This record gives sequence, structure tokens and C-alpha cells, in this order.
Amino acid sequence: MPSPPIASVTRQLSRRSVFEALLHRSPISRADLAKVTALSKQTMSEVIDAFEQQGLVRAVGRTSGNVGRTAVLYELSPDGGHVLGIDLGARRLTVALADIAGRVLAEADEPTDSRGGAWALDQIARLSDRLARDNHTHPSRIRSIVMATPGVVNPKSGAIEMAPNITGLDHLNVVGLLGEKLGPVVLENDINLALLGEIWHGCAQNVDNVAFLALGSGVGLGLYVNGRLVRGENGAAGEIGYLPIGGDPLQAESRLQGCLEYQIGATGVVRRYREAGGSDVDSERQVFERAQAGDPIAAYVVDETARLTALAAAAVIATVDPQLLVLGGSVGVRPDFADKVARVLLQLSARPVEIRTSTLGRRAGVVGALSVALRRLHDEFFGVAELAARPLPPPTQRNARQ
Amino acid sequence: MRETAYCFAADLGGTKLAAAIADARGGIVAELTEPTDRRGAAYVAEQIAACADKLAKTVGIEVTRASHVMVGIPGAIDPRTGRVSLTPNIAGLEDFDVLGFLRGRFGPDVAIENDVNLAMLGEHALGCASHCSNAAFLALGTGAGLGLLIDDKLFRGARGSAGEIADLPIGRDPTSQNPSASGTFELEVGSLAIVDRYRRQGGTAAATVRDIFRLLEQGDEVAASVLDTTARWVALAVVTLQSLLDLELIVFGGSIGVRPELYERVRRALPAHFSRPITIAPSRLGDRAGLIGAAWAAGQALRQNPGGAERANLK
Repeated sequence: MPSPPIASVTRQLSRRSVFEALLHRSPISRADLAKVTALSKQTMSEVIDAFEQQGLVRAVGRTSGNVGRTAVLYELSPDGGHVLGIDLGARRLTVALADIAGRVLAEADEPTDSRGGAWALDQIARLSDRLARDNHTHPSRIRSIVMATPGVVNPKSGAIEMAPNITGLDHLNVVGLLGEKLGPVVLENDINLALLGEIWHGCAQNVDNVAFLALGSGVGLGLYVNGRLVRGENGAAGEIGYLPIGGDPLQAESRLQGCLEYQIGATGVVRRYREAGGSDVDSERQVFERAQAGDPIAAYVVDETARLTALAAAAVIATVDPQLLVLGGSVGVRPDFADKVARVLLQLSARPVEIRTSTLGRRAGVVGALSVALRRLHDEFFGVAELAARPLPPPTQRNARQ
Repeated sequence: MRETAYCFAADLGGTKLAAAIADARGGIVAELTEPTDRRGAAYVAEQIAACADKLAKTVGIEVTRASHVMVGIPGAIDPRTGRVSLTPNIAGLEDFDVLGFLRGRFGPDVAIENDVNLAMLGEHALGCASHCSNAAFLALGTGAGLGLLIDDKLFRGARGSAGEIADLPIGRDPTSQNPSASGTFELEVGSLAIVDRYRRQGGTAAATVRDIFRLLEQGDEVAASVLDTTARWVALAVVTLQSLLDLELIVFGGSIGVRPELYERVRRALPAHFSRPITIAPSRLGDRAGLIGAAWAAGQALRQNPGGAERANLK
């Protein structure tokens, strides 16, 4: 690829640094922008004029109180562009809309259509459209869409593979079909996005080396090292469900569903409760509730689940040595469960690591999707490929949940 | 053209010390191997410096010309403090300021690195992993260690102890018995564990793993069974690495890891344990992988920051 001419790279760099300053320091005057970015007054005027024409910035008032003339204050315009984050979970579909400055404007969620496949894709489009319409955002203003999904996206077919908890996505061109309904959509593994959510706006801010272990319907791992996700050779890094822990790795279920996931995924917890003599339950949540209510069989199953989770965490710590281990997912965020895991881990590992539970809970995936959608939008406007991206600031306004 | 800049590389092991002088491209010009001084860290450090003197004499240069130095250490190195830990094979190393000593002798352009990480670098630069961006070097010998390459860079972890897989919870269930400070995986596949397994299964004539390999050649069935069991534990560790990191290649090294009698057994065991293919290969550089990696890393540091060489030339 030919490199762009120097002048255009310089202009792009100026635009980017002004944009970053607006992102982190709004509202701000032209004079202060020039100070922060070390750009000349003339360049600053050119950039701000261009931004105003594009609808990226707006004047929000004037400086006051100080001696001398007052100056116009600028901020990023909420109309500068919108992004959509989607989290397609086995049980719940969540959609969130944010403006270019990272302000979350609206969020909605509903149970995922259990028929999966094309029905789930229709549901995604319907919920996204409704969210945009309710916020008077024309679809053309949505400039970047990122969706969190379980499993691994096949880059050739656009299908979602290794996601056994949602049916019918492994033979559909999910990327193509969603693109027709919503415009270009970037798919990313849900655990990776939940991890990025925690880094942007949750319990892992300003940490360089994070492992995110999610336990819920399934089990998954996200790894973030020196500012980057670890994806592996085929995008299958973090498929922790296949760890040979907790069962016989040679049995058919282990090969199919993953040895560890077969034991500690939601269906594994329910199965082990039944096998241990427990009465019928619908979900792993009930097993946890019964354990808290004093059911000794449920307590045994929960303890065993915590022990196996700690063994998996010990394998992660021995291999990648994270600075912080975040427990997430519907089971992982339970504080009593995290305490049990931490206790077993203390026995297991000579080098214990700090453990936190996800603070975003089930919003982690959609928040992470927004952060990537924003980063992509910023890069589209101002990207210079060689530049390392600064982290996004936290959103200035908490979500407006619908 | 006469070389103007050199580097010094060493690979320190529990039983032997290998050292080399290399050119600015990291190519080895002269090398030697000695038994590691058993008297502990301070003596070992002096021994490393003495190796540099000997090699300089061999090459016919002043030792100060070797301005950039890389020494491989069999332990975890904290990237912030330079402190060495997890080095049971060299007495006193954890309390000895290796880096400080070496800088005192060689000047500022000295670095230390985990030995298996250097073996990984060696295979990436000049061995069987040269085409890989995501790979691991699995060293099996007295103990078990791992060097990781992620996105073409060494992956050291937050405290420099990534790849300390002696602790992997692979093997006898560590929570069902008295948990010990040393690692579970190493308790199954370290050389002591293999010899112990051979004795427990009724073998008699083996004092070392090398003996067991020799007995295997002679058709000893206990030796075959012991290696089968060992290979199954190793296969589980390989599956663990693949699940976590999705690697392109796992290189087998170390005195036990390079033996085809072992890695072929592991290779055969893998398909039953994992539904996707896993590629393993024996180290191409063998027991020189760490030294070659150290020389390559020192050469790279020299090319990126030749200032040290200029200082040496001024003397």
C-alpha cells in the first residue's frame, strides 16, 4: 500500500490530536486546545472550522470569570456520529447506542429468541432499529456497529462457530446478513469485549495485563496484554472450556463441549446436582440459590464448581501470569462464589494474583462493544495506522436504561 | 572487513554453563561449555565473567569489545525489579543481584532473560519457529518450563513468570492431598518423577531418565509404559496451552523434550484429547537453543543501540 503524502499525514495527526483533546477535555476553548495540542493558532482555526462543517463540534458557551476577553468553549457534538453496541448472549440480547464522545444515550435488552439462527438476527435488527428510532437517531447517523457473540467468527463464511448455546448460527453468514439489515457490523468474541468493557469502564481500568474468566452458560477467557487482546493463531485463544480439567478429557462430551465446560458450564452444574442426588432444577441459578438456602447437595456442587474454576484459574496464572484476574459471567460475578474461588486458589498457587469481580456484570459485553465501535469510528475519522491509540476516556454520562 | 562490535551471550543451567562471543548480527564466533560451579550464585557469576575472558582470548579481542551482554537464567525475572525467583537449581541465586554484578563487569548494556524465553527466541530467529508469530518452547528436563511468543514478541507476564508451568494443575489432583509449594505438572514429568515412576512400576536398573531411554531401546516394557504415562501428562499440558493461547507451533526442547521417543508419543496422544489439530516439533537448535537465542538477542540490542560499542572503542 502506498503511504499517504506527508502533508496529509500531518493534517490527519493535527485533526486527531485536536479530537483527542476535545474527547478528554471538553468543554475547551481554542486557545486551550492550541496549548494542549501544541498546534499553531492558525492550524487550530482550520481544524475547528473543518470540524464544525462536518458537525463534529459545537459551541457550548463562553469562558467566564477571568480577566480579558471571554472565549468560545467547544465540545464534541452529539450529532457528530453515533455508534451501536450489541451483545448477543445465549439468554439475553442487549443493544446500546452512544454518541461520538462515548456518552451512552440508550440501552435496551430482551431475552434472546430461543429459536436462534435467522430469528435471532431479525431480533437484533428489530431491537437496534427501535432503539435508534426512540432516540430520534436516523440509521444513517450510526457510523460504527460492533457485536459481541459467543464462539469464533469464521472469517471466510461469516458464520459463528463453537457457540453451542445459540442454535443455527454456524451455517448462516451472520456478518453478511446483519450487514444487509443494519450496515457493516464487526463481530468480536463476547468474552474479549466484556474484558474491553471492564478495561474501559469497569474494574480493570489502567491495568496492562488482565485475564477475564467468565462463567455462566459456558466458560470463557479473555486475555489482554500490553494494550492488546491475545487472539491466537486462528482467533481461538481463550477457549478455556477445552481445558483438560475436572473430567475425563477422552470422553465424547469432553471433545464435543470441552472437558471443563462439560463440568462447570450451566448444564454441567445442573447435571452434577442431579447426579449427586439433587431434585429437579431448571437452571444453575437455582442450584446456587438452594446452596445458599442450606441444601447440602447444592452446596457440595457449588463448592466443586468453585474448585474446578480455581484449577482453571491456576492454569491461566501459571501460563500467562496476569496482573489481575477478573471473574465475570452470571456465575462468576456472585461474590460468594468469587470468595470460594479465591480461597482454593490461595492453596494452589505459589504466586496468588489479585482477583476482582466484574463491576459491569451483564453489561460488560455491550459496553466493550461500544468501546470498540467508538475506537473504530475515531480511527475512521482520524486514524493514522502507525499511531498507537490512547485509551478512551470513561463515558461522561451513565447509561439511560430503557 | 574487521568486526568492530561484539556481544557476549551465556546460558546458565543447573548443571552446565554455555557461553559465546557473537558478532553484531548475533552470529556465534566462539563458544564453550563448562559444568556449572556448584558452590552457588556468587561463584557462578564469577564463572560467567571468566568465560567471557576466555572466549575473548580465543577470538583475539579485548573483552571490553563485547559491550552487549545477554545471560539466560533458569528462573523467573521480575521485569520491574530484575529480581530472580523460582531457581531451585542454583543455590543463592534468588538473593544475588545477578544483573548488578554483570553490569559492574560489562557495563550498562547487560540484560538477563529467562533461559526458556531465550530458547524460544532462538527457534524464532534461526530454528523451527521462524515462520511463526504465536508459538511456545516447551522445555522438559530436570523441570518443566515454557517460553511464549505472542504476536512475534516474547510474552513474559506481569511479574515475569508467564510460562512457569511447573505449577500447572495437570497431574495428581493437587487439592485432594497436601498442597506443596512445588508444581504439580513438574511432579509428573520432571526427571525425578519419571525415574520414580519407573521404580514404582517394577523397573530396577535405571538411575536416570537417560538410562530409561537406553532400556527402552533394549525392549524394556516398563520403560515403554513409563514413557507412555509421561507422554499423556505432557499431552494434557499441550492441550492446556492450545486451549488458552491457540498457538501455531509448540517446540519441544530440553534433554527429555527433544527425545523422539517422548514427543512422538505425545503427538500420537493429542488427537484423542483435542478435536482441532495441534502442531508440535522438536527443537531444531537442540541444547544450543538458549545460547543461540541469547546471542541473537544481544546482537539485536547492539544493532538497536550501538552506543555501548562506541564507548568500548574509546577506551
